[in-house]
Amino acid sequence: MNSIEEVTSKPAVESVKTDDGPSDEELLLAVGVSQDRRAFNLLFARFSKRIFAMGMKLTRNEQLAQDLVQEALMTVWTKAPLYDLDRGTAQSWIFTLTRNRCFDMLRKKKRQPQTISADDIWPQESDAEMSVVHEEQGSQAVEVAQIERLYEHLPDAQQAVIEQIYIFDRTHEEAAAELAIPLGTLKSRLRLAVAKLRTMIGVEQ
Amino acid sequence: MTTANFHPSDDILRDFAQGNVTTGMSVALSAHIELCSSCRTRSSELESESIMEWLKLEGDSEPDFSGMIDTITALPQLTTEPQINSAPVNSDDLAVSEIHMLDRSFTLPRVLARAASNGLKWNKLAGGINQAQVQIDNETQCEFLYMTPGSQVPVHRHQGNEVTLVLDGAFEDQFGHYGPSDFLVRNKRDQHQPSTEEGCLCFAVLDSPLTFTSGLARLFNPINNYRFRRATSQRF
Ligand SMILES: [Zn+2]
Repeated sequence: MNSIEEVTSKPAVESVKTDDGPSDEELLLAVGVSQDRRAFNLLFARFSKRIFAMGMKLTRNEQLAQDLVQEALMTVWTKAPLYDLDRGTAQSWIFTLTRNRCFDMLRKKKRQPQTISADDIWPQESDAEMSVVHEEQGSQAVEVAQIERLYEHLPDAQQAVIEQIYIFDRTHEEAAAELAIPLGTLKSRLRLAVAKLRTMIGVEQ
Repeated sequence: MTTANFHPSDDILRDFAQGNVTTGMSVALSAHIELCSSCRTRSSELESESIMEWLKLEGDSEPDFSGMIDTITALPQLTTEPQINSAPVNSDDLAVSEIHMLDRSFTLPRVLARAASNGLKWNKLAGGINQAQVQIDNETQCEFLYMTPGSQVPVHRHQGNEVTLVLDGAFEDQFGHYGPSDFLVRNKRDQHQPSTEEGCLCFAVLDSPLTFTSGLARLFNPINNYRFRRATSQRF
Protein backbone atom coordinates (compact mmCIF):
# COMPACT_ATOMS: atom_id res chain seq x y z
CA MET A 1 0.00 0.00 0.00
CA ASN A 2 1.02 3.59 -0.51
CA SER A 3 2.80 5.55 2.15
CA ILE A 4 0.80 8.29 3.82
CA GLU A 5 2.66 10.99 1.96
CA GLU A 6 1.83 9.41 -1.37
CA VAL A 7 -1.78 8.86 -0.45
CA THR A 8 -2.37 12.41 0.66
CA SER A 9 -0.77 14.04 -2.31
CA LYS A 10 -2.19 11.71 -4.92
CA PRO A 11 -5.13 13.19 -6.82
CA ALA A 12 -8.44 11.29 -6.99
CA VAL A 13 -8.25 11.27 -10.78
CA GLU A 14 -4.91 9.86 -11.87
CA SER A 15 -2.75 12.32 -13.71
CA VAL A 16 -1.72 11.65 -17.25
CA LYS A 17 1.87 12.74 -17.43
CA THR A 18 2.56 14.34 -20.78
CA ASP A 19 6.14 15.11 -19.90
CA ASP A 20 8.41 15.09 -16.93
CA GLY A 21 8.71 18.06 -14.64
CA PRO A 22 6.34 19.52 -12.09
CA SER A 23 2.81 18.12 -11.82
CA ASP A 24 -0.15 20.22 -12.96
CA GLU A 25 -1.10 20.66 -9.30
CA GLU A 26 2.31 22.03 -8.38
CA LEU A 27 2.15 24.49 -11.26
CA LEU A 28 -1.36 25.64 -10.45
CA LEU A 29 -0.48 26.13 -6.78
CA ALA A 30 2.61 28.14 -7.79
CA VAL A 31 0.46 30.36 -10.01
CA GLY A 32 -1.99 30.88 -7.15
CA VAL A 33 0.47 31.39 -4.35
CA SER A 34 3.18 33.47 -6.02
CA GLN A 35 1.82 34.58 -9.42
CA ASP A 36 4.53 32.40 -10.95
CA ARG A 37 4.52 33.24 -14.67
CA ARG A 38 6.85 30.43 -15.63
CA ALA A 39 4.44 27.97 -14.04
CA PHE A 40 1.57 29.62 -15.90
CA ASN A 41 3.47 29.35 -19.20
CA LEU A 42 3.84 25.62 -18.62
CA LEU A 43 0.17 25.19 -17.73
CA PHE A 44 -0.71 27.22 -20.79
CA ALA A 45 1.39 24.95 -22.99
CA ARG A 46 -0.17 21.83 -21.46
CA PHE A 47 -3.80 22.94 -21.63
CA SER A 48 -4.41 25.46 -24.42
CA LYS A 49 -4.74 22.81 -27.14
CA ARG A 50 -7.00 20.67 -25.01
CA ILE A 51 -9.20 23.67 -24.30
CA PHE A 52 -9.27 24.57 -27.98
CA ALA A 53 -10.25 20.99 -28.83
CA MET A 54 -13.08 21.07 -26.29
CA GLY A 55 -14.22 24.40 -27.71
CA MET A 56 -14.25 23.05 -31.27
CA LYS A 57 -16.25 20.03 -30.17
CA LEU A 58 -18.85 22.04 -28.25
CA THR A 59 -19.16 25.12 -30.49
CA ARG A 60 -18.01 23.84 -33.92
CA ASN A 61 -16.73 27.37 -34.44
CA GLU A 62 -13.04 28.22 -34.57
CA GLN A 63 -13.47 31.80 -33.38
CA LEU A 64 -15.54 30.72 -30.36
CA ALA A 65 -13.05 27.97 -29.60
CA GLN A 66 -10.25 30.54 -29.59
CA ASP A 67 -12.31 32.82 -27.36
CA LEU A 68 -12.75 29.87 -25.03
CA VAL A 69 -8.99 29.36 -24.80
CA GLN A 70 -8.62 32.97 -23.73
CA GLU A 71 -11.59 32.95 -21.32
CA ALA A 72 -10.71 29.64 -19.71
CA LEU A 73 -7.03 30.36 -19.21
CA MET A 74 -7.87 33.82 -17.94
CA THR A 75 -10.09 32.11 -15.36
CA VAL A 76 -7.26 29.70 -14.52
CA TRP A 77 -4.98 32.68 -13.86
CA THR A 78 -7.46 34.78 -11.90
CA LYS A 79 -8.90 31.92 -9.84
CA ALA A 80 -5.66 30.06 -9.19
CA PRO A 81 -5.40 31.51 -5.63
CA LEU A 82 -8.71 29.77 -4.84
CA TYR A 83 -7.39 26.35 -5.88
CA ASP A 84 -6.24 23.83 -3.32
CA LEU A 85 -5.94 20.05 -3.34
CA ASP A 86 -9.37 19.71 -1.70
CA ARG A 87 -10.83 20.80 -4.99
CA GLY A 88 -9.49 17.75 -6.79
CA THR A 89 -6.85 17.42 -9.44
CA ALA A 90 -5.72 20.41 -11.46
CA GLN A 91 -7.01 18.60 -14.54
CA SER A 92 -10.52 18.19 -13.21
CA TRP A 93 -10.51 21.76 -11.90
CA ILE A 94 -9.51 23.11 -15.32
CA PHE A 95 -11.88 20.76 -17.16
CA THR A 96 -14.84 21.86 -15.05
CA LEU A 97 -14.00 25.51 -15.35
CA THR A 98 -13.57 25.23 -19.14
CA ARG A 99 -16.83 23.34 -19.61
CA ASN A 100 -18.67 25.89 -17.48
CA ARG A 101 -17.13 28.89 -19.26
CA CYS A 102 -18.08 27.33 -22.59
CA PHE A 103 -21.63 26.68 -21.43
CA ASP A 104 -22.07 30.30 -20.31
CA MET A 105 -20.35 31.65 -23.42
CA LEU A 106 -22.70 29.72 -25.70
CA ARG A 107 -25.77 30.85 -23.80
CA LYS A 108 -24.71 34.43 -24.24
CA LYS A 109 -23.93 33.90 -27.91
CA LYS A 110 -27.37 32.35 -28.48
CA ARG A 111 -29.00 35.17 -26.51
CA GLN A 112 -30.63 32.78 -24.10
CA PRO A 113 -32.37 34.06 -20.97
CA GLN A 114 -29.80 34.54 -18.22
CA THR A 115 -31.81 32.82 -15.49
CA ILE A 116 -29.71 29.65 -15.50
CA SER A 117 -25.92 29.60 -15.42
CA ALA A 118 -23.40 26.76 -15.42
CA ASP A 119 -23.08 27.12 -11.63
CA ASP A 120 -26.77 26.22 -11.27
CA ILE A 121 -26.42 23.19 -13.54
CA TRP A 122 -23.24 21.76 -12.01
CA PRO A 123 -23.24 22.76 -8.34
CA GLN A 124 -19.86 23.33 -6.73
CA GLU A 125 -17.98 20.13 -6.07
CA SER A 126 -18.14 20.59 -2.31
CA ASP A 127 -21.94 20.16 -2.25
CA ALA A 128 -21.93 16.96 -4.24
CA GLU A 129 -18.77 15.51 -2.81
CA MET A 130 -20.05 14.14 0.47
CA SER A 131 -23.43 13.16 -0.88
CA VAL A 132 -22.43 9.52 -1.14
CA VAL A 133 -22.68 9.39 2.61
CA HIS A 134 -25.22 12.13 3.30
CA GLU A 135 -28.05 10.49 1.45
CA GLU A 136 -31.80 10.77 1.33
CA GLN A 137 -33.48 7.97 3.27
CA GLY A 138 -34.49 5.65 0.43
CA SER A 139 -31.06 4.76 -0.80
CA GLN A 140 -29.21 5.41 2.43
CA ALA A 141 -29.65 1.93 3.91
CA VAL A 142 -28.23 0.25 0.82
CA GLU A 143 -25.31 2.60 0.49
CA VAL A 144 -24.33 2.54 4.15
CA ALA A 145 -24.26 -1.27 4.06
CA GLN A 146 -22.17 -1.18 0.90
CA ILE A 147 -19.85 1.42 2.33
CA GLU A 148 -19.30 -0.56 5.51
CA ARG A 149 -18.02 -3.48 3.46
CA LEU A 150 -15.90 -1.40 1.09
CA TYR A 151 -14.47 0.73 3.86
CA GLU A 152 -12.33 -2.24 4.90
CA HIS A 153 -10.45 -1.93 1.62
CA LEU A 154 -9.28 1.62 2.25
CA PRO A 155 -5.73 2.36 3.41
CA ASP A 156 -5.53 2.65 7.22
CA ALA A 157 -4.96 6.40 7.18
CA GLN A 158 -8.15 6.93 5.19
CA GLN A 159 -10.14 4.47 7.31
CA ALA A 160 -9.14 6.45 10.39
CA VAL A 161 -10.44 9.66 8.88
CA ILE A 162 -13.73 8.12 7.74
CA GLU A 163 -14.14 6.60 11.20
CA GLN A 164 -13.64 9.96 12.93
CA ILE A 165 -16.05 11.83 10.69
CA TYR A 166 -18.76 9.31 9.88
CA ILE A 167 -18.71 6.91 12.81
CA PHE A 168 -17.73 9.16 15.74
CA ASP A 169 -19.44 12.10 14.04
CA ARG A 170 -16.59 14.53 14.80
CA THR A 171 -16.11 17.84 13.05
CA HIS A 172 -13.18 18.18 10.65
CA GLU A 173 -11.30 20.21 13.27
CA GLU A 174 -11.92 17.71 16.05
CA ALA A 175 -10.89 14.80 13.83
CA ALA A 176 -7.67 16.53 12.77
CA ALA A 177 -6.80 17.17 16.42
CA GLU A 178 -7.64 13.59 17.40
CA LEU A 179 -5.45 12.14 14.64
CA ALA A 180 -2.75 14.79 15.18
CA ILE A 181 -2.66 15.76 11.51
CA PRO A 182 -3.09 19.16 9.84
CA LEU A 183 -6.64 20.08 8.84
CA GLY A 184 -5.62 20.23 5.16
CA THR A 185 -4.27 16.70 5.29
CA LEU A 186 -7.45 15.48 6.93
CA LYS A 187 -9.57 17.09 4.24
CA SER A 188 -7.44 15.64 1.43
CA ARG A 189 -7.60 12.18 2.98
CA LEU A 190 -11.33 12.42 3.45
CA ARG A 191 -11.78 13.51 -0.11
CA LEU A 192 -9.66 10.69 -1.45
CA ALA A 193 -11.45 8.16 0.75
CA VAL A 194 -14.86 9.32 -0.43
CA ALA A 195 -13.72 9.33 -4.06
CA LYS A 196 -12.33 5.83 -3.64
CA LEU A 197 -15.52 4.57 -2.00
CA ARG A 198 -17.51 6.13 -4.76
CA THR A 199 -15.41 4.40 -7.41
CA MET A 200 -15.70 1.09 -5.60
CA ILE A 201 -19.46 1.45 -5.40
CA GLY A 202 -19.48 2.21 -9.11
CA VAL A 203 -17.43 -0.90 -9.79
CA GLU A 204 -19.86 -3.02 -7.80
CA GLN A 205 -22.96 -1.86 -9.61
CA MET B 1 -37.91 10.26 -0.79
CA THR B 2 -38.66 7.44 -3.20
CA THR B 3 -35.80 5.99 -5.21
CA ALA B 4 -36.12 6.49 -8.94
CA ASN B 5 -36.69 3.49 -11.20
CA PHE B 6 -36.07 5.24 -14.52
CA HIS B 7 -32.77 6.99 -15.13
CA PRO B 8 -30.97 8.81 -17.94
CA SER B 9 -28.71 6.56 -20.03
CA ASP B 10 -24.92 6.64 -19.72
CA ASP B 11 -24.76 8.33 -23.13
CA ILE B 12 -26.92 11.21 -21.92
CA LEU B 13 -25.05 11.48 -18.62
CA ARG B 14 -21.71 11.51 -20.44
CA ASP B 15 -22.86 14.26 -22.83
CA PHE B 16 -24.13 16.17 -19.81
CA ALA B 17 -20.79 15.87 -18.01
CA GLN B 18 -19.09 17.19 -21.13
CA GLY B 19 -21.46 20.14 -21.46
CA ASN B 20 -22.79 18.76 -24.73
CA VAL B 21 -26.57 19.01 -24.25
CA THR B 22 -29.01 21.94 -24.49
CA THR B 23 -29.58 24.13 -21.46
CA GLY B 24 -33.16 22.83 -21.11
CA MET B 25 -31.98 19.22 -21.05
CA SER B 26 -29.14 20.15 -18.68
CA VAL B 27 -31.68 21.56 -16.23
CA ALA B 28 -33.74 18.35 -16.28
CA LEU B 29 -30.60 16.24 -15.81
CA SER B 30 -29.22 18.42 -13.04
CA ALA B 31 -32.56 18.20 -11.20
CA HIS B 32 -32.70 14.41 -11.55
CA ILE B 33 -29.11 14.11 -10.34
CA GLU B 34 -29.97 16.19 -7.28
CA LEU B 35 -32.80 13.75 -6.51
CA CYS B 36 -31.07 10.50 -7.48
CA SER B 37 -27.98 9.28 -5.66
CA SER B 38 -27.13 6.53 -8.13
CA CYS B 39 -27.07 8.97 -11.05
CA ARG B 40 -25.02 11.37 -8.94
CA THR B 41 -22.41 8.67 -8.49
CA ARG B 42 -22.63 7.57 -12.11
CA SER B 43 -22.36 11.07 -13.53
CA SER B 44 -19.28 11.84 -11.47
CA GLU B 45 -17.68 8.63 -12.74
CA LEU B 46 -18.53 9.56 -16.31
CA GLU B 47 -17.15 13.01 -15.69
CA SER B 48 -13.88 11.45 -14.53
CA GLU B 49 -13.82 9.28 -17.66
CA SER B 50 -14.50 12.34 -19.80
CA ILE B 51 -11.60 14.15 -18.16
CA MET B 52 -9.29 11.22 -18.95
CA GLU B 53 -10.42 11.32 -22.60
CA TRP B 54 -9.97 15.06 -22.70
CA LEU B 55 -6.43 14.85 -21.38
CA LYS B 56 -5.49 12.58 -24.28
CA LEU B 57 -6.50 15.19 -26.84
CA GLU B 58 -3.41 16.46 -28.55
CA GLY B 59 -3.71 18.35 -31.82
CA ASP B 60 -0.87 19.97 -33.67
CA SER B 61 -2.59 22.12 -36.30
CA GLU B 62 -4.22 24.57 -33.87
CA PRO B 63 -3.48 28.28 -33.92
CA ASP B 64 -0.66 29.50 -31.72
CA PHE B 65 -2.18 30.99 -28.60
CA SER B 66 0.96 32.10 -26.82
CA GLY B 67 0.25 35.77 -27.64
CA MET B 68 -2.52 35.68 -25.02
CA ILE B 69 -0.22 34.93 -22.14
CA ASP B 70 0.97 38.48 -21.45
CA THR B 71 -2.57 39.87 -21.54
CA ILE B 72 -3.73 37.22 -19.12
CA THR B 73 -0.90 37.47 -16.63
CA ALA B 74 -1.36 41.25 -16.49
CA LEU B 75 -4.78 40.67 -14.89
CA PRO B 76 -5.26 40.85 -11.13
CA GLN B 77 -6.04 37.56 -9.42
CA LEU B 78 -9.07 36.85 -7.26
CA THR B 79 -8.69 36.22 -3.57
CA THR B 80 -12.30 35.30 -2.83
CA GLU B 81 -14.87 33.25 -4.70
CA PRO B 82 -16.90 35.52 -7.00
CA GLN B 83 -20.61 35.76 -6.20
CA ILE B 84 -22.29 32.93 -8.08
CA ASN B 85 -25.77 33.28 -9.52
CA SER B 86 -25.16 36.91 -10.28
CA ALA B 87 -27.74 36.65 -13.06
CA PRO B 88 -30.54 39.11 -12.38
CA VAL B 89 -33.74 37.74 -10.88
CA ASN B 90 -36.74 39.97 -11.38
CA SER B 91 -37.82 40.08 -7.80
CA ASP B 92 -37.36 37.88 -4.79
CA ASP B 93 -41.02 37.72 -3.95
CA LEU B 94 -41.72 36.07 -7.30
CA ALA B 95 -39.18 33.34 -6.62
CA VAL B 96 -40.69 29.85 -6.53
CA SER B 97 -39.05 27.22 -4.42
CA GLU B 98 -42.26 25.36 -3.68
CA ILE B 99 -45.16 24.49 -5.91
CA HIS B 100 -48.64 24.16 -4.41
CA MET B 101 -51.30 22.32 -6.34
CA LEU B 102 -54.65 21.43 -4.79
CA ASP B 103 -53.72 19.90 -1.45
CA ARG B 104 -50.15 19.10 -2.41
CA SER B 105 -47.03 21.13 -1.99
CA PHE B 106 -43.65 20.23 -3.33
CA THR B 107 -40.17 21.65 -2.75
CA LEU B 108 -38.32 22.05 -6.04
CA PRO B 109 -34.77 20.86 -6.67
CA ARG B 110 -32.36 23.80 -6.59
CA VAL B 111 -31.93 24.21 -10.33
CA LEU B 112 -35.69 24.12 -10.94
CA ALA B 113 -36.30 26.70 -8.23
CA ARG B 114 -33.80 28.81 -10.14
CA ALA B 115 -35.59 28.12 -13.45
CA ALA B 116 -38.86 29.19 -11.85
CA SER B 117 -37.36 32.24 -10.18
CA ASN B 118 -39.24 34.67 -12.41
CA GLY B 119 -42.56 33.21 -11.27
CA LEU B 120 -44.84 30.57 -12.80
CA LYS B 121 -47.93 31.34 -14.82
CA TRP B 122 -50.23 28.34 -15.07
CA ASN B 123 -52.42 27.68 -18.11
CA LYS B 124 -55.19 25.09 -18.27
CA LEU B 125 -54.91 22.70 -21.23
CA ALA B 126 -57.22 19.96 -22.48
CA GLY B 127 -57.78 16.85 -20.36
CA GLY B 128 -57.12 18.25 -16.87
CA ILE B 129 -53.56 19.34 -17.57
CA ASN B 130 -52.05 22.53 -16.18
CA GLN B 131 -48.95 23.89 -17.79
CA ALA B 132 -46.47 26.59 -16.76
CA GLN B 133 -43.76 27.30 -19.29
CA VAL B 134 -40.35 28.53 -18.26
CA GLN B 135 -38.05 30.17 -20.76
CA ILE B 136 -34.68 28.50 -20.37
CA ASP B 137 -33.15 28.50 -23.84
CA ASN B 138 -34.09 28.97 -27.50
CA GLU B 139 -33.79 25.33 -28.46
CA THR B 140 -36.23 23.56 -26.19
CA GLN B 141 -39.66 24.04 -24.68
CA CYS B 142 -39.48 23.64 -20.92
CA GLU B 143 -42.54 23.46 -18.72
CA PHE B 144 -43.94 22.34 -15.43
CA LEU B 145 -46.96 20.11 -15.96
CA TYR B 146 -49.52 19.31 -13.36
CA MET B 147 -52.01 16.57 -14.24
CA THR B 148 -55.01 16.71 -11.91
CA PRO B 149 -56.09 13.40 -10.32
CA GLY B 150 -57.92 11.22 -12.83
CA SER B 151 -56.72 13.14 -15.88
CA GLN B 152 -55.53 11.77 -19.19
CA VAL B 153 -53.37 13.40 -21.84
CA PRO B 154 -54.66 12.78 -25.38
CA VAL B 155 -52.62 10.23 -27.39
CA HIS B 156 -49.68 12.03 -28.88
CA ARG B 157 -46.45 11.44 -30.68
CA HIS B 158 -43.30 13.49 -30.47
CA GLN B 159 -41.58 15.03 -33.43
CA GLY B 160 -38.37 15.01 -31.44
CA ASN B 161 -37.44 14.00 -27.92
CA GLU B 162 -39.43 14.62 -24.79
CA VAL B 163 -37.88 14.29 -21.38
CA THR B 164 -40.11 14.09 -18.34
CA LEU B 165 -38.94 14.28 -14.75
CA VAL B 166 -41.58 13.25 -12.23
CA LEU B 167 -41.46 15.56 -9.23
CA ASP B 168 -44.48 14.47 -7.21
CA GLY B 169 -47.33 11.99 -7.56
CA ALA B 170 -47.33 9.39 -10.32
CA PHE B 171 -48.54 8.71 -13.85
CA GLU B 172 -48.58 5.80 -16.23
CA ASP B 173 -48.69 5.00 -19.91
CA GLN B 174 -48.63 1.73 -21.83
CA PHE B 175 -44.87 1.42 -21.15
CA GLY B 176 -44.90 1.69 -17.39
CA HIS B 177 -45.77 3.40 -14.13
CA TYR B 178 -43.66 6.37 -13.03
CA GLY B 179 -43.16 7.96 -9.64
CA PRO B 180 -41.08 10.69 -7.99
CA SER B 181 -37.57 11.30 -9.42
CA ASP B 182 -38.18 9.07 -12.46
CA PHE B 183 -36.55 10.40 -15.61
CA LEU B 184 -38.16 9.36 -18.91
CA VAL B 185 -37.06 9.92 -22.46
CA ARG B 186 -39.60 9.51 -25.25
CA ASN B 187 -38.48 9.81 -28.83
CA LYS B 188 -40.39 10.25 -32.03
CA ARG B 189 -41.22 6.55 -32.41
CA ASP B 190 -43.08 6.45 -29.12
CA GLN B 191 -46.77 7.20 -29.23
CA HIS B 192 -48.20 7.29 -25.78
CA GLN B 193 -51.12 8.36 -23.65
CA PRO B 194 -50.17 9.30 -20.10
CA SER B 195 -52.81 9.16 -17.37
CA THR B 196 -52.82 9.62 -13.62
CA GLU B 197 -55.06 8.53 -10.79
CA GLU B 198 -53.47 10.42 -7.93
CA GLY B 199 -52.32 13.49 -9.87
CA CYS B 200 -48.78 14.25 -10.95
CA LEU B 201 -46.36 17.15 -11.07
CA CYS B 202 -43.62 16.93 -13.71
CA PHE B 203 -40.96 19.00 -15.36
CA ALA B 204 -40.81 18.37 -19.11
CA VAL B 205 -38.37 19.36 -21.84
CA LEU B 206 -39.27 19.04 -25.51
CA ASP B 207 -36.89 19.63 -28.34
CA SER B 208 -39.72 19.94 -30.90
CA PRO B 209 -43.52 20.19 -30.74
CA LEU B 210 -45.95 17.40 -29.84
CA THR B 211 -48.27 15.89 -32.43
CA PHE B 212 -51.59 14.60 -31.18
CA THR B 213 -52.63 11.54 -33.15
CA SER B 214 -56.19 10.89 -32.01
CA GLY B 215 -59.59 12.42 -32.66
CA LEU B 216 -60.45 15.92 -31.62
CA ALA B 217 -57.10 16.42 -29.93
CA ARG B 218 -55.58 16.78 -33.39
CA LEU B 219 -57.16 20.21 -33.42
CA PHE B 220 -54.50 21.19 -30.91
CA ASN B 221 -51.64 20.52 -33.29
CA PRO B 222 -51.52 23.97 -34.87
CA ILE B 223 -51.64 25.45 -31.38
CA ASN B 224 -48.82 23.22 -30.17
CA ASN B 225 -46.70 24.15 -33.13
CA TYR B 226 -47.37 27.80 -32.42
CA ARG B 227 -46.59 27.34 -28.72
CA PHE B 228 -43.37 25.63 -29.53
CA ARG B 229 -42.25 28.27 -31.97
CA ARG B 230 -43.06 30.93 -29.43
CA ALA B 231 -41.27 29.11 -26.62
CA THR B 232 -38.20 28.58 -28.72
CA SER B 233 -38.29 31.81 -30.73
CA GLN B 234 -34.94 31.98 -32.41
CA ARG B 235 -33.30 35.26 -31.64
CA PHE B 236 -29.77 34.83 -32.90
ZN1 LIG C 1 -31.13 8.38 -11.65
